[in-house]
Amino acid sequence: MVRHGFITVIAGMIAATCVGTFVGSSHAGELRQDRRGRSTPTLVAQVAGSPTPTSTEQSSKGAATSVESTTLEELLLQKGTITMDDWIRIKSEQEYRQAEREKGIEILKEWKSKVENLPILSDKVNIGMNALQWQYYHQNAHVGEGQSQDNIFIRRSELLFWGKINEYLPRWHALYEFQSTNIATNSSGRQSTTYFRESYIDFRPFPSWAPNLNFIRFGIFRMPFGIFTNTSGGLRDIISSPYLTSVGSGSASGNGTAGTIDFLHERDFFMDVRGKIANRLEYVAGMMNGNNFHANAAQPLSANGPKQFYSQVRLFATDVSWVSFNVIAGESNNANTFINGRGKGAFDRWGIDARYMSKLFPGFMIQGELWQGHDGANSVTVGTLVNGACQGPVPPCTGSGAPGVQRRTWYVLAKYLISDGIFENWEPTLMYEQLDPSTATSNDLYTRTIVGLTYYFENLPPKIHCKFQINYEFRHHQGTGPGTVVPNTDAFAQNAILVQWQIRYM
Amino acid sequence: MMNAMRTALGIFCWLMLEACAPPQLFQPHIMQDVDTQFDFNVWREAPSTSKGRKVQLGGRIVEAEPTDTGVLIIAEQLPIVEHPAYGPTDQRRRRGVFEFAFLYPGKIESSALEAGNRFIVIGMIQGAKTMMVGGARKSEPYLVARCVHIWKTQDREISDFPTIGADYYPLEENTYCAASLEPETR
Repeated sequence: MVRHGFITVIAGMIAATCVGTFVGSSHAGELRQDRRGRSTPTLVAQVAGSPTPTSTEQSSKGAATSVESTTLEELLLQKGTITMDDWIRIKSEQEYRQAEREKGIEILKEWKSKVENLPILSDKVNIGMNALQWQYYHQNAHVGEGQSQDNIFIRRSELLFWGKINEYLPRWHALYEFQSTNIATNSSGRQSTTYFRESYIDFRPFPSWAPNLNFIRFGIFRMPFGIFTNTSGGLRDIISSPYLTSVGSGSASGNGTAGTIDFLHERDFFMDVRGKIANRLEYVAGMMNGNNFHANAAQPLSANGPKQFYSQVRLFATDVSWVSFNVIAGESNNANTFINGRGKGAFDRWGIDARYMSKLFPGFMIQGELWQGHDGANSVTVGTLVNGACQGPVPPCTGSGAPGVQRRTWYVLAKYLISDGIFENWEPTLMYEQLDPSTATSNDLYTRTIVGLTYYFENLPPKIHCKFQINYEFRHHQGTGPGTVVPNTDAFAQNAILVQWQIRYM
Repeated sequence: MMNAMRTALGIFCWLMLEACAPPQLFQPHIMQDVDTQFDFNVWREAPSTSKGRKVQLGGRIVEAEPTDTGVLIIAEQLPIVEHPAYGPTDQRRRRGVFEFAFLYPGKIESSALEAGNRFIVIGMIQGAKTMMVGGARKSEPYLVARCVHIWKTQDREISDFPTIGADYYPLEENTYCAASLEPETR
């Protein structure tokens, strides 16, 4: 409205000026010339933002227009084919259309600036599918009556949200995982359990110090240890999680070899500092709660467990090949945690990992990890709430009475992506792993060989990873100590086949 | 004892200097006579005026097309920054047109030529060239590359890596030097 008013005022002023000019200077002028003079202000009114010309300038411009840039309608007017009224009508229509066009462009510009500022387009908010996995699983291990050795389910449905606020807050991150296997029953019928997985904030105190001191990360996230724990299901080369994250089932035993062993848990409450020096050395150093990220489920008990220091130093040989050294050291607590297979007391993990991605032989990759570490004494079955520490399974204490054992695990994984020929986009994978629950106890080894084949529908990691995988797992579990055997219901002693179809797009 | 301390101090100083210096993507002799502060806007306005100059430009791949003589890349120029990570960045909103084209006279694998990947190119300005861009015929400022360094960022910032999605994923990057122009290809 203001703009229209402004245009009207300027047009009026110019019209008045021009009328005055022509009235004063061409008393004996032709009627046609007079009419053209009157029409000029309308033309000038198109450029509302330009300064108003003086009467002399205006008359000379009008003359120049008639000589140098004669339009078709002006020519027709000069030849007498159209009347001045026709000419004015044509001009008015032209000016109206021009004004409409300009108005349309203004509206588009306004919308463009609005759209450009949308959080979703300014990297402030992003949404992605980290992994949607359909899985079929057959195990040779015997199962209870009423259960099946064949399973079909949604293994992961992980929605990821992230964004960058500014240079000081370069990333916020929230990951939610849903699984059809965790649908729980309640009195009102079936209910899908939503799973909180990760949430963290990155803080960069000095942008000019990055990447040497890149940022400080607060929250719950994947542990920066090794390779597997720091890789989500969306980018893993095999379907199962490796034994180093979790192996075994049942109750804890007095020698520390039975029950579930969460040797390296995947997520926890953390605060750490990260950076990269000379583009060749990455480091992470921080402190973690050590109770696993589920610890808040033990409410009203606090999740504030004994703290553990952790660090990783990764040396890059090339941009994608490295060797790194990892350490976790601190106090473990078997009370109010969900990883209490570690007992109470001094706890440590030492690890070395390496990856080689060949530049000479593109598509070939080999990686491995070796970990060793002590647990505290008196481990408890993982996920069981206990009443503090005690030595021995004396009621009311539910501890196993196991001493603090030293555990060791390692694996090697190799794969080759075929990039041409009839087997283009197929990737054979081979992995062998071993976990020794107690290095002081014999006949307790877990071993597994995985033979896999992957077909990529779309393979642009890390953004897109749509694939179909078949894995056959040769599993073996010696026992839980000298002279022991495992039952045929032990899933870690019986082979299995897994088929998985995944979509990932971020 | 003093010698050991001096050596340790020397190593520390060297590490600090190394840490603070921007990474050397290209061999020193490649960078000889290269204008690293080249004014892109001036070139864009009058592409023929800078003909024959050796320049360094950062950008993002818009389109890439293999040709008989190499790979023709249509790109959007981006400023090169040192922090939070060295390389071209798109963090500041800019007004104007920043499109240009360059020919790399050699081969580059297809995954490196994905739209959105970031690069720094060293090349010689050739003026303007008419070409098809997005189905339309356009005249673009044009140079022939001697070397190009490509980060496979897939339109994310270099500084976003290695935390991508819910994963640790190190950023793959490679330097390509044209065999016909430069014997050392890394």
